[in-house]
Amino acid sequence: MNKKKKNDFLNTINPFNKNSMTPTLLIVYAFMILIFSLLNPLFVSIANIKSIMANLTISGIMAVGLTTVILTGNFDISVGSILGVSAIVCAKLYNIGNTYIPLPVVILAGIAAGTAIGAINGFLVTVVGINSIITTLGTLAVFRGLAFLYGTETAQIYYKPYVTMGRGYIFKDIPLTMVYFIVILLFMYLILRFTRFGRNVYQIGANSQAARLAGVSIKKTTFYTFIISGATAGIGGILLSSQLAFAQGEFGLGYEFKILTICVLAGISLAGGRGTLVGVLVATLILGSIANGLSLSKVPIEWRDAFEGLILIIAIMVDSIRVRRRALLRA
Amino acid sequence: MQTKIKKRFKLTDTYILLIILFALFAFFSLVNRQFIAYNNISTMLKNMVLTGVLALGLTPLMIARGLDISFGNSISFTSVVMAVLFTVGGLNLWLSLVIGVLVATLIGFINGLLIEKFDLIPIILTLGTMAILQALALVVANTFTQTYSILMLTDQLYYFSTRTFLKIPLPLFVLIVFVAIFWFVLSKTKVGRTIYLIGANPKVAYLCGVKVTKVKILLYTFMGFIAGIGGVLIVALTGVGMSYHGSKLALPTLSAVLLGGISLMGGSGSVWGTLIGILIVTVIFNGLSVLNVPSYFIQLFQGLALITIVAAYEIRNKRALAF
Repeated sequence: MNKKKKNDFLNTINPFNKNSMTPTLLIVYAFMILIFSLLNPLFVSIANIKSIMANLTISGIMAVGLTTVILTGNFDISVGSILGVSAIVCAKLYNIGNTYIPLPVVILAGIAAGTAIGAINGFLVTVVGINSIITTLGTLAVFRGLAFLYGTETAQIYYKPYVTMGRGYIFKDIPLTMVYFIVILLFMYLILRFTRFGRNVYQIGANSQAARLAGVSIKKTTFYTFIISGATAGIGGILLSSQLAFAQGEFGLGYEFKILTICVLAGISLAGGRGTLVGVLVATLILGSIANGLSLSKVPIEWRDAFEGLILIIAIMVDSIRVRRRALLRA
Repeated sequence: MQTKIKKRFKLTDTYILLIILFALFAFFSLVNRQFIAYNNISTMLKNMVLTGVLALGLTPLMIARGLDISFGNSISFTSVVMAVLFTVGGLNLWLSLVIGVLVATLIGFINGLLIEKFDLIPIILTLGTMAILQALALVVANTFTQTYSILMLTDQLYYFSTRTFLKIPLPLFVLIVFVAIFWFVLSKTKVGRTIYLIGANPKVAYLCGVKVTKVKILLYTFMGFIAGIGGVLIVALTGVGMSYHGSKLALPTLSAVLLGGISLMGGSGSVWGTLIGILIVTVIFNGLSVLNVPSYFIQLFQGLALITIVAAYEIRNKRALAF
C-alpha cells in the first residue's frame, strides 16, 4: 500500500517509469548528507551549499544532454572533449585583437561548436554505421588533441558580463548557473514527455525494431540526440570558461566519466528506453556533493576518483539487475 | 560460390594492410632519414613489444565479443605494486614480479566475473575499473613512497632489456614467442575454435555445450595476466614503476587490434591481422615522434586513425551485405 502511494505521486510527473530509481536515490542522498554533515558540520553551511550548487550545474547540464543519447541505446564518451573545444572557442573569440564581439554571438559560437561536433558524431553513428562507443572514443581523442593544439597558451577572458554569467547570483543566494540548469532540465523534460520526438527517443531505446515498424526514423532521431548532447556539452564549455575566466586545453579531461556515472545512477538504463530526468537531477546532486563532502572529510584526493569509479560499477550492476528482474517479470 | 567470394575478400584484406604498412614506412623514411636509423628501429621494436603483447592478449578476448580498456591502468597499478614491493618491501625481485602478475590476473578475473555474472556492458565496467585502478596506482605510490615514480633498476631487468639473442633483442623474442603461441592456439586447437564460435554466435555455442560464461571469464582473466606481463615488460624496459605508465596505452592498442580486422561483432579476425595492425600503429606513432610532432597531436591522429579504420570496415561490410 505504500507502493501505491508512491506510484500515484510518480504517475503525475513521470508516467514512463513506475519503478523509478528516484525514491531510492533521494534516500541515498539524505543518508549521504547525514554522514557528511556528521563528519564535518561545515558541509551543510550555506557557503558550502552555494559552492556545491555552483559547480555541479555544468555536469548536470551535460548529463541532461547525454540522457537523450543513452535513452536511444547509444553512448557519447566525447562530451568532455566537446566541452574543451567549445571553451577554447569562446575564450579565443575574446582574444582576437581589439574587436568587440557581442555576448550573444560568443554564446552562439560555443553552442555551435558543440553542435557541430555532435553532428559529426551523429553522422558517423547513423550514416556510416560505426558503433557509437568506438566513434565517440575516436572523437574524444581527435578533439582532445585539437583542444590541446589550440589551447597551449591559456586564453584569458576579461569581459565582465561573460564572467558574471557563470559566477553571478540572483536573489543573492541562488547561483545563476543553477537557474540555467533548472531551465534546461525543464525544457528537456517537456521535450521528452510531450513531443513526438521525445516519445520516439524512448521507443527506439526500448524496442528499436518496433520503432522502425511504427515509422519512426531511427537515423534522424539518433542524429538529433547526438546534436543535443553536443550542444549541452557546448553550453557546459561556455559556463566553465566563464566561471574560471580562462580556457585551456585540459578543460573537460575526464568529465565524460563523471557524467556517464550521473546518468547511470539516475536510472537511465544502459539498455535504453528507461529513465527520467528527475533521476538525473538527484544523481547530479549526489555526485556533485560527493567530491565536496569527501574533501571536507579529509579523504585524500586520489580516493575520490576511485570512489566515483566504484559508484559507476555499483550503479551499472544495479541497473543490470533491474533489467534482468524486469525481463523475468515480463516472462 | 559464396565461400569462394569470401576467401578472395580475406586475402585482399591482409594485402591491403601490408601495402598500407609499406607505404607508411616508405613515407616516414623519405620524410626524415632518421627514421631508418638503427637507433630508431630498435626503439620502434621496443615500443612494439609492449603494444604487441597487449594487442595479442586483447585479440582472443575481442574475438569472443568481450572488451577491456582497463589494461592500461592495470599495468600502471601492477608496475607500482611491483616497484613498491621490491624497493620498500625489500622482497626478492622475482617474487615481486610474480606477485604483480598475480594481482593483475586477479583484476582481470574480477572484470570477467562482474561482466559475465551481471551481464554488464564490458566497456562501461572496464571504464569504471580503469578509474579505480588509476586512483589505486596513485594511492599506493603516494602512501609507500613520496613520489609517483619509483625506480626499479636491477641488473637482471637491464640484462633482459638490452641483451640480444641471435641479434634479436630479448623483448622482441618474447613477442615472437607470444605470436607463435597465440597463432597456434587460435587456429589449430579446439580452444581457439571455441573462442571463434563464442564470438560468432554465443547462443549456438551454448547449445553446443560450450560453457560460455566460464570461457569468457577465463578470457578476461587471461587478459589480466597479459596486463601483468605488460607490467613486467614496462618495468624492465623503462626501469621505473610509475602511476601514469599505462594510461595512454589503451587507445593505440585498441586501434591496432581493430586495424587488424578483429571485428567488434566478434567471431572473425586472426593473429596475423593483429600483428600487421601493431606494426602499422607503431610505425605511425614512431614516425610522428621522429617528426617532432607534439604528443597531443599524436593522440589526435590515433583517434582519427581509429575512426577511419572502423568506418572503412563498416562501409566495406555494408557493401558486402548490399544484396
